[in-house]
Amino acid sequence: MIQFSNVTKDYENQTALRDISFVIEKGEMAFITGPSGSGKTTLLKLIYSAEKPDRGNISVAGWDLDQLKASSIPYLRRNIGVVFQDFRLLGNRNVFDNVAMALRIRGMGEREIRTKVFETLKSVNLRHKSDSYPKGLSGGEQQRVVIARAMVADPTVLLADEPTGNLDPDTAESVMRTFKDINARGTTMLIATHNRELYRNTGRKVIRLEGGTLVGVGPG
Amino acid sequence: MSMSPYSFRLAAQSLHREKWINLLSVLTIASGLLVISVALLVAYNVNAATGKLPEKFALTVYLNDNLGREKIDALIGALKKKQSVAQVRFIPKDEAMKELKTMLKNANYVFEGLDENPLPDSLEIRLKREAVSPEEVKKLTGDIGRMQGVAEIDYGEKFLAALHSVKSGVRTVGLSIITIIVAGIIFVCYSTVKILFYRRTEEIETFKLLGATRAFIRAPFIIEGGVIGMAGGLISLMSVYVLYYVVLTRMSSVVPLLSNILFPLDLFLLLPLSGLLLGVAGAVIAVGRLRY
Ligand SMILES: Nc1ncnc2c1ncn2[C@@H]1O[C@H](COP(=O)(O)OP(=O)(O)O)[C@@H](O)[C@H]1O
Ligand SMILES: [Mg+2]
Repeated sequence: MIQFSNVTKDYENQTALRDISFVIEKGEMAFITGPSGSGKTTLLKLIYSAEKPDRGNISVAGWDLDQLKASSIPYLRRNIGVVFQDFRLLGNRNVFDNVAMALRIRGMGEREIRTKVFETLKSVNLRHKSDSYPKGLSGGEQQRVVIARAMVADPTVLLADEPTGNLDPDTAESVMRTFKDINARGTTMLIATHNRELYRNTGRKVIRLEGGTLVGVGPG
Repeated sequence: MSMSPYSFRLAAQSLHREKWINLLSVLTIASGLLVISVALLVAYNVNAATGKLPEKFALTVYLNDNLGREKIDALIGALKKKQSVAQVRFIPKDEAMKELKTMLKNANYVFEGLDENPLPDSLEIRLKREAVSPEEVKKLTGDIGRMQGVAEIDYGEKFLAALHSVKSGVRTVGLSIITIIVAGIIFVCYSTVKILFYRRTEEIETFKLLGATRAFIRAPFIIEGGVIGMAGGLISLMSVYVLYYVVLTRMSSVVPLLSNILFPLDLFLLLPLSGLLLGVAGAVIAVGRLRY
């Protein structure tokens, strides 16, 4: 589902990722870990084509990103739900509209949107907050809105960047339960985290980065 | 360009959220279009006022004395063959005298002691409408002057030249004003849409990350540009109509000439439509030039 072959990514002044290769199979739930600045966010950005690799090949959900035209990027992104590290919630829109936006950009009809958004909000326990604005929500609630927006369109791949970064252990636990539910429905998951607790003893694939280099791929 | 119903909602939201910027642009566009419509109104009325003059315009050709019916007929025949001539009428000197006498009914003493008619026979020539220009008339009078039996030609040379310079002056000034203002309006819409775009870059970046196409991102701005332009057009239409009404009802007692001014009905369609088109044009240029 996701394949990196000898991928290198340079920013102007430094190399963020060096010669990275790995495969994540369809339906898998995998983790990327490593200290802050090791290149986790950059790796995820390469997957949804917010950054371009300088060397190597990436394929996602059957798309060869090397061959991808700029006009096709929107259609690649519609297969990928992203839980952004910085949330990217729209402050002037309420919870419902923030989640609905992922469907509106696809041109879906409003009636169908209502059904899907409320159903998804219910699954992250935010049905009662649909009229609230992001500013009026706690960090954990905002995190769950972002997760709802990433999953509402049933993407084939879901990427999450530090999804438990600033959550208390109980909330982190419930977010992970949600992810397992999504994964159980067949969605391929890739979660970037520096929180060992999330993958310890799960037996799931963990991609370890350090200073932009892959230092190991193995079960957690 | 795919215009989903949601594009219209996004445009409506932006029109509401940025109402002050939008209102400012609408008023700027409205004042530009107001100047244009006043210019059009003036041009329209100058045209309407002078439009019927060529039909009234006539050349009078005075003939030599005692030319004889045959030569006169030959002359009339030759004149009628000329392309710019529409109509030739022979006015015998007796008829001319009768006309003069009715005109001077209250001053009959002028004719006392006059036992012979001093007026010459004459021909009145009416020209085809399209032939009434100073150059054409000058050429024609030159030709006629060289014909046998013609004594003198009389026509409103100065009047004709003045009429023409007024008309072409109005046209030139009007066209320059309109061109400048049209460019100005497009620029206002262009700048407004650019500002609106930059104020929403964060939101747009998020839309893109969620998988929005360029068309989805651009459509609301183009709709918004069109709405701003059309609103400007409607406001200018109302203003110019009010202005026309005030001039007609209040000013015409002071300046009687103004009681004849007309309001071209085309403006009811022309102003909103041209506002819409200029707004869309400005928006299309703006979103086309943006990098995203
Ligand atoms: N847009 C950018 N321009 C320049 N350098 C960047 C940019 N984004 C990230 N970096 C650098 O690349 C390295 C990897 O960053 P990142 O992928 O964000 O790491 P992580 O998510 O693991 O903390 C860091 O040293 C960071 O400073
Ligand atoms: Mg990061």
